[in-house]
Formats: sequence, C-alpha cells, structure tokens
Amino acid sequence: MGAEPTVTIHLTAPLRVYSGGASRLEIAASTVKDALDALAQGQAALYRNICDETGALRRHLNVYVNADNIRDLRGLETTLAAGDVLTFLPAVSGG
Amino acid sequence: MADRVVVTIGTRKGVFVADAPKTRRGFKLRGPFGPGVPVYSTLVDTRGKPRIYASSCNPFFGMKLLCSTDLGRSFKETKSAPAFPKDDGRALANIWSLEMGGAKNELWCGVEPASLFRSGDGGDSWEMVPGISNHEHARKWQPGAGGLCLHTIVRDGNRVHLGISTGGHYLSEDGGQTFRASNKGVGAGFAPDPYPEFGQCVHKIVRHPAAPGRLYMQNHGGWADWTGPGGPRPNIGVLRSDDYGRSWRSIASGLPTDFGFPIVTHPKDPDTVYVLPLEPATRTCPGGAPAVWRSENGGGSWSRLGRGLPKKEAYFTVLRDGMTMDGLATPALYFGTTTGQLWLGRDGGEKFDLLFDSLPPIHNVKVAVV
Repeated sequence: MGAEPTVTIHLTAPLRVYSGGASRLEIAASTVKDALDALAQGQAALYRNICDETGALRRHLNVYVNADNIRDLRGLETTLAAGDVLTFLPAVSGG
Repeated sequence: MADRVVVTIGTRKGVFVADAPKTRRGFKLRGPFGPGVPVYSTLVDTRGKPRIYASSCNPFFGMKLLCSTDLGRSFKETKSAPAFPKDDGRALANIWSLEMGGAKNELWCGVEPASLFRSGDGGDSWEMVPGISNHEHARKWQPGAGGLCLHTIVRDGNRVHLGISTGGHYLSEDGGQTFRASNKGVGAGFAPDPYPEFGQCVHKIVRHPAAPGRLYMQNHGGWADWTGPGGPRPNIGVLRSDDYGRSWRSIASGLPTDFGFPIVTHPKDPDTVYVLPLEPATRTCPGGAPAVWRSENGGGSWSRLGRGLPKKEAYFTVLRDGMTMDGLATPALYFGTTTGQLWLGRDGGEKFDLLFDSLPPIHNVKVAVV
C-alpha cells in the first residue's frame, strides 16, 4: 500500500483564526474523512469549527474537493488524489 | 466607585455594549462585536474587575463564548466553549444562558439541547453537569419554538432553579448535584394533560433575594379558549411560588393576555413584578400598542405602563431575556425588541424613552452598574 496522497486544504478567513493564520495546509489523506481525522489530530481548534463534538460535519458548512461538493461525490468517503484541493465554505444560508 | 451604567445587548448580528453615567443620559453604543452571528445570552460579571460575557452562536463554525475585560471595548474568545462529551451523542446547538456561580470565576451555562455546564475558570474550560443533563427525563423533553433549550438558571444558595423549554421547572436543593421536576401548578397548553409532571414550556423564572422562597414564572400561556382534550387552561401563563418552587399558583388575572416571554422583579421590592404581555398567536403586542404591565402586590393586581411607547402599529416581540432592570436608587426598566429598538423606562417604567431605534433584532438585554 502506497503513501497517502498530499492534498491542500484552503481555509476561508473566519477559519484562519484557528489555524494560526495559515490560509492553506498541506496534509496527507486518502479520503475526506482521513483529512478530517488528520485535522482532529493536528489542528484541534480548526477541526472543532468544521465538525461538532459528535464528529459530524457542521450543518451549514459545505466541503468541496476541487470544484465538486462532496455531497455530489461520495461524501466523507470521497477519495483524494495527490494535488487535490479541499475547501470548507459556509453554505449560502442564513441571513 | 460604581459610576457607569453598562447595558449589554445581544442581537441577531452580534453583541453591542452601551454605557452612560448614572443619570442614564447620553448612552454611547459600541459594537457590534463578534462575527455577526446571533448572541442569545450576555452576562455582566461584577465580581472583582468587571467582565462581560457573550455567547456567539455561529451556525457555520459552532458555538463560542466571548469575553471582554475592558467593559465592552473589545472581546475575545475564551479558550473553550461548552461541549458534550464525545460519546454523549448530542452536539451543542446554542448557548442560551450565562450566570455567575458561587465561587470566584465560576460560571454556569445553559445550552441547547437542554443541558447545563459549569466552568471554574471564567469560561476557559467547562464540564457538563450530569444531574440535569443526564436526567432521566432529558431524552423525553421536546423542543419548543426556540429549540430544546435550558434558558434560565436561578441560583439561591444550594438551591438551583432551571427553566427548560419544553421541560418545565427543575429544582436542585443540593447545589446542582441532583434535580427533580417541580411543576405542581404549572400548566401545559399543548398536551392533553394540562398538568403533567414535566414537559411544560416555561419561558422565564425570577426570584428576589429579599423574599426567601418567592419565585415568579412566565409560562407559556394563551390556552384559555382551548376546546380540545384536557379542556381550557386559563391563566396558566403567569405564576408565583412561595415555597421555593415546590408549588405554583396563577397570578395572571387582570392581564390582557397571559402569554409573554420575560418576567422581571424590581430590585428593591419583591412585591413588584413586571411582564410584557403578547398576543398568544402572533407573539406581538396586543392591538399593536405595546405596554409593560406591573404588579406592586405580588401579582394580586396589575397596571399598564405605556407612557412614551407607541400607541399603535407596533407589532414587535420581546424575548425571554429581552427585559431587565438596573439597581440604581430609582431603578429603570430596559427592554429590547425583535425590531431592534432598545427602550428605557425611567422611574420603574413610568415613562419610556427610545435609546436606540435601529439595532438588529434583540435577543437579550442585561444591565449593571460598575
């Protein structure tokens, strides 16, 4: 089994407060779930803004792999390839 | 020496802080603070150097607690917010109530889904209070229109009164270790059984330190004409207890409606209590003419206070934490509306002035003299 691919996580401005100011992170992950697990381990404050205490993705947050929403792919099981870009964006909801 | 009146205003778009000299003239407004998300609870902690706390309910990135140590000139997040244990299965949806605990730096916090948390370090770390959060009734409570929230924490020595919508009134007499439903006389309007053991939609509970055992409750009224199972339930909305919340009786007679959200006591007179009646169906001011109603005899009779308020075409709501009083020699009443006005009622509400006209919808108003 090969090494996990390295992907880039892009962070919007409200999330950078919790990543030490970083606007992007490079992590090794084979799936979106792996990526979240990696954040839980290495970026706990950032993770808590993306997932609640049960581990569920926050309801009004959309996750994109490149240009595709993961709900249109395989959700958290969506596989990642080297160079993929993972983006967490607030849903266009609320007021 | 305390010489400033500080008003915290939690709104749909962050928290504002206003302050003025003790004359209450020339209030200056600061804010909004936070990321423009709803603030359902604020607290002016007057123990030692004053601190202002505000919940910050971010629908995108979760719940935070904000703290100001400079009287609302700046806020920053505490090190953590309440959170359920990982294996609990519940996730924090909102922070509804913040109160001072008995020990220095101790805070209590009521949340949605209805649970209680306690901090011993000014909000930097939190632990769930299992006596109520894991109560045998907890998984049977149902959400009200505002969600399943623990919105009221009233501390009285070793007694702790909690208001849960819709769970009812829960009482601890061992400092919060254990709780029991204590709803004798508290009606429910949305269930076949008019007086269930628990499940009432309590809106607010207050006590007065000078009247041991006395409590007032604004409950979910508006069921006088109900003709379904269980029959009509007139006057279940405004209640009083004289035995530390073990039993309750109606004091709603004389009000235009027994529905409302806030209930406030006069800081110097336990017999003086204020409510703001609303139409039960629309939850707006009856006839478009808002008024605070005051009783000066513990709910025996009520009088209307509307001088200075709109006389017509005003259909706002005042939410459960949207009304309060300051503790100055001649206390003033403050209430904030869902249409963004903050009103000041001088001389105990005898004459109202509009302090701010166009804030975001107001969820809560607290005041302290610091």
